[in-house]
Amino acid sequence: MGVPAFFRWLSRKYPSIIVHCVEEKGKECNGVRIPVDTTKPNPNEVEFDNLYLDMNGIIHPCTHPEDKPAPKNEDEMMVAIFEYIDRLFNIVRPRRVLYMAIDGVAPRAKMNQQRSRRFRASKEGVELVEEKNRMREEIIQRGGYLPPEEIKERFDSNCITPGTEFMDNLAHCLRYYVADRLSNDPGWRNVTVFLSDASVPGEGEHKIMDFVRRQRAQPNHDPNTHHCLCGADADLIMLGLATHEPNFTIIREEFKPNKPRPCALCGQMGHEIKDCQGTAREKQGQHDEFADTMPAAEQEFIFIRLCVLREYLARELTMASLPFPFDFERSVDDWVFMCFFVGNDFLPHLPSLEIREGAIDRLVNIYKDVVHKTGGYLTQNGYVNLERVEMIMQAVGVAEDNIFKKRKEDDESFKRRMKEKRKRMKAEQQGPAYLTTGQFAPHALGRRDRPEPVQNARHQAYDMRMQSREQHNKDAAQSLKAMIRNGGNSSAGPSDSSDSRGVKRKAEDSDSEPEPEDNVRLWEEGWKQRYYKTKFDVEVTDEDFRKKVVKSYVEGLCWVLRYYYQGCASWKWYFPFHYAPFASDFKDIKDMFTEFEKETKPFKPLEQLMGVFPAASGNFLPQTWRNLMTSPVSSIIDFYPDDFAIDLNGKKYAWQGVALLPFVDERRLRAALADVYPDLTPEEVKRNSLGSDIMFVGKSHPLSDFIHELYRAETQEGTEIPVELCHGIQGTLNLDDDPILPDKPVRSPIPMLRDISQNSAIGVKFKDPHYADGFVFKAVLLPGAKIPNKVLKPGDWEKGNREPWRPQLGFNPNRQQAHLDQSGFRALGHSLNRNQHGGGQYSNTPPPSNYQHGNYRPPHSGGHQPFPHSRQNSLLGAPPSFHQPQYPRQQQQYGRGGHGWDRTMQSQQSAYQQNMSRGRGGGGGGGGGGGGYQQRYDHRRDDWHDRRDDRRDNRGQQHQGYSSGRGYPPPPPSRRYNWN
Amino acid sequence: MAEERSGEDIVSEYLGQNPQLAQWVDTFRGYCESNKQWFARREFILRNMEAFPTVEPGVPSSSLDRLLSLSMVWANHIFLGCSYPQAVMEKIKEMGEGIVVQDAPVHKTRKDEVMSKGKRSATAEGDIDSCVKRAKCGPNELDSRPAGRTATRPVSQKAGPPPQAPAEHQPFFNRLYKAVAWKLVSAGGFGPNLDHFEILRSCVESCKQTLTCVFVPLKDITGLPAGRTQKEGHVCEIRCQTVYMGTGYGRDEAAARAMASKEALKAFQGRKVTVKICRRRYKGKDVEDLMLFDEQPRSQGFPPALSYPFQDEQLDEGSL
Repeated sequence: MGVPAFFRWLSRKYPSIIVHCVEEKGKECNGVRIPVDTTKPNPNEVEFDNLYLDMNGIIHPCTHPEDKPAPKNEDEMMVAIFEYIDRLFNIVRPRRVLYMAIDGVAPRAKMNQQRSRRFRASKEGVELVEEKNRMREEIIQRGGYLPPEEIKERFDSNCITPGTEFMDNLAHCLRYYVADRLSNDPGWRNVTVFLSDASVPGEGEHKIMDFVRRQRAQPNHDPNTHHCLCGADADLIMLGLATHEPNFTIIREEFKPNKPRPCALCGQMGHEIKDCQGTAREKQGQHDEFADTMPAAEQEFIFIRLCVLREYLARELTMASLPFPFDFERSVDDWVFMCFFVGNDFLPHLPSLEIREGAIDRLVNIYKDVVHKTGGYLTQNGYVNLERVEMIMQAVGVAEDNIFKKRKEDDESFKRRMKEKRKRMKAEQQGPAYLTTGQFAPHALGRRDRPEPVQNARHQAYDMRMQSREQHNKDAAQSLKAMIRNGGNSSAGPSDSSDSRGVKRKAEDSDSEPEPEDNVRLWEEGWKQRYYKTKFDVEVTDEDFRKKVVKSYVEGLCWVLRYYYQGCASWKWYFPFHYAPFASDFKDIKDMFTEFEKETKPFKPLEQLMGVFPAASGNFLPQTWRNLMTSPVSSIIDFYPDDFAIDLNGKKYAWQGVALLPFVDERRLRAALADVYPDLTPEEVKRNSLGSDIMFVGKSHPLSDFIHELYRAETQEGTEIPVELCHGIQGTLNLDDDPILPDKPVRSPIPMLRDISQNSAIGVKFKDPHYADGFVFKAVLLPGAKIPNKVLKPGDWEKGNREPWRPQLGFNPNRQQAHLDQSGFRALGHSLNRNQHGGGQYSNTPPPSNYQHGNYRPPHSGGHQPFPHSRQNSLLGAPPSFHQPQYPRQQQQYGRGGHGWDRTMQSQQSAYQQNMSRGRGGGGGGGGGGGGYQQRYDHRRDDWHDRRDDRRDNRGQQHQGYSSGRGYPPPPPSRRYNWN
Repeated sequence: MAEERSGEDIVSEYLGQNPQLAQWVDTFRGYCESNKQWFARREFILRNMEAFPTVEPGVPSSSLDRLLSLSMVWANHIFLGCSYPQAVMEKIKEMGEGIVVQDAPVHKTRKDEVMSKGKRSATAEGDIDSCVKRAKCGPNELDSRPAGRTATRPVSQKAGPPPQAPAEHQPFFNRLYKAVAWKLVSAGGFGPNLDHFEILRSCVESCKQTLTCVFVPLKDITGLPAGRTQKEGHVCEIRCQTVYMGTGYGRDEAAARAMASKEALKAFQGRKVTVKICRRRYKGKDVEDLMLFDEQPRSQGFPPALSYPFQDEQLDEGSL
């Protein structure tokens, strides 16, 4: 589900599920990049067996990134994708399987969402251009400067849809990529690679799930396989839980909300297009050397450990004294099911359940209350018990009225608070009416300039007096002039403001932004009636219609759960309304659903394109097909409105609203396409056909020879993979028509990359193990599965009276804490370059001149550890908490004894040294040194530096105050710093 | 309302007489259609069946699909607020004539949404309108600009401003005069070093109106004195509420506009401003135009008009 709120909520509630990735960066030596050796143990101190890539989460950021310049052409995009996969491979280092899945044709249920996304994307694109042109005109009229409009083709992200040429090219490029890495990268040598491209129907993540499900249902599956799934969608968490594999980890980019984006008009950061002023670009860095770099750091990755989430859930869901035995695995399935109420890709969420309002907690509470009465779990193996669901829904329905009222109250109080805050902020900004100037001007404390003795106070006072008088004079003169000019025929007298128009109240001051009008008013009596009237255009008395909506929703819940646990039950089913019913409408739902239509088939890729594309993206389709989207005599013209309404539905932003798009009539679509099918070129026919997963292995893989043998024998029928050759992975192999074979060169589809002349990879079509119709995949832990060690602090830890609890931060509970030795600190000090000055401050000898030169040189990447970010610490294997208690002390020691001669002295007589340095500081250089130091470092510090600098500043201050002896109190006894 | 009743009555009566037809038509009902929506669409289908002679009840055909498609277009437009390409819209408008839908939902398309959001300070529809126009009104589109839209009063058959126009506009320009006077005072008086356009614009906007600037490259103006060496540059004409205020020439559009604003501001140096109808040249013809003067009418050397907001469309097209 594309609900960012879900992940946010989850990571706040269950913080320990997140582990930051340790990434070993490739080094560079004399301009040559040395690749990371991924055969080495994983620096995250865990070994993963299988890595699954939901490729669409990779393709989108690589083709139209938000935080860096877009790639110039398709080739660059492909290279960006390769690099991204390399990066992930380096972090995860799978030892058995790499599974790459690109979204293929999706079930009909998903099509509505895809359709709405693509129509919106196309619409927003057009609107952005319009807005840009309008703003551009306005700014130029106002005399602003804008860089000339780039004439570049906008990458239509809509082409990332199965069936387009782009996706076809991508599949080719990935084959090349896999062959290259299998032949040349030692880390890939024993990995089995699966590529499921866009020609294989199914959403990427669900193709992966299908693979996992079908593998674990066969007897040779290793129940302790450690899976790692890459993707940002929140539903991956649900999917991962649904597998009931004990070792399942998700890797995703760290979620950073509100990342700054450059203005679309002038390309500068810090404002949006509507506030663009067209001012000249500011220099980035002293010589504009950072012009093209974004201030944001490279996106980092995090792991989400589902085994830890399971621990959390076990705590939350465990119920004592149930009328039936408690089964944690079943309750996890129920939890997953309840999360669907809050939002998923296939159904609109219930109006009363909003994740931001703690809807899941509410559901869990209700669940625990009700489950006693229901006599069992809500779901089993992905099949829903509707009778029990109805009880939950009715319980939610009872609260509905209050939820809506509460929502309104919260909303109002939030608005009130924001208003007050704005007011406060403004008052702060305004400042006092009169400010003393010159020597009497107020100074902030703790700045570098120390107060000077006041000189000639009288004169200064006189100046200030005269200045204000002059101002008065000027004002008076101006209003007088104005009066004369108007020759008396103006009735408006001179006002005290020099601007006679009066200050117009800005829109922001008045009651904030205009609210989108909300006709439903869920918080007022009669909400249900109004909801059905405005959203469905029916009277509340129309019971039949309401039943229809509820029935569809119930079917939807069944379909979604089945989709997660058993695979796609029906390619045809979809939710045919734009809105959900209320929880209280779920009455007598027991018989509303029996079974889905069997034997449904997915759309063909080009058919699906016709179903999800707006007419504006028709260029991805053959001409006659495209005509169907625009011609007034087309028999499916109603699918392609060129503008549509968006109902905000109580939300604030258009992207949160509901796009009121018509649904596609499958029968008419197929009928219309039947006429144009003959117009396809052979190439298009090929793109339109359904493909197959492909499996690749390198030469040293045990399967390689086996597959090679199949090709030599030209085996026509499918062959099962021998159990012992591939970690118990099963499946059927079929010969590929245009295979990648060892010692057969692979042509590079990208001009800038070389052909592989020494290919040693081999590829073959792969099919997941087949199961009989009606086979039910069991949602249980497999026998022999070992549950990983507990991570959370046991609730009774204190009672056990053991040693203090040590939280586990990575994968390894017994993580080795790393320590820096002297040389390490020296290296650190050198590249951080503040240390010398720290030394300079506290030792009264000025640093040698060569140190001074080294000051602003960027740290070498070779010999010295750069420390640009706090978390990079973990590069050294140290958990973040480490440097607080220990590091400053050591560092300070070093700082004081920065130079050899000092250190000897210090080690002998450190107590003496302390006094000495204080005393000497008082004597002269100390205070000045402190000032200088602060001056140098008051810019561009990140958090970590800040923290330390604060401490240092404190000390500097103490020092300074003490030494200058101007009546500051003596420094408080230092607690934190162990001066000895 | 009565008509609608009868419309629906007729339909149900008709279907009552043809139960087979009724059954067949009902197979086209979408699952998600409410009674109201379906009855309206059913009427649409039945009414337009004759226009598709190849449609035979009970037989699937492509012309039937076309009819169904158009009925969906119509329903989507009415009930969901979708809009379609111009040709399609015209067609369904014609086909849907006479079908009355009672209190159809009101939907804002995305475009309206953005418009009203982007221009929060906009006071009236007209304001939004003119701001769009200003954005569009490049030199190339000058002639194709639909002139009728700017005029707020009914456009008279005869081209030219209606005789009561000066009186209508006078109060606004009185207000503008005051605003400009105060603005100039605060800026230290009229002089060469002001941002004239900015002053004019802010004053006009403080009076809740907008300026219309029209730019024409100098080389596109015909009938200039032959001996002119200047071929580069642009000419700008400023109007407010269709009333001509000034013309200026400059190297680029901004400079031309600044010059035009300066000219316009000159009129505000007197004791009052007056709106009058005057004859002047426009595209080689003499036309009547609304112009702004200070109290003493100056010499008759008006620059020719660059735009003419009083034509009706036909005339405009004809003059192209």
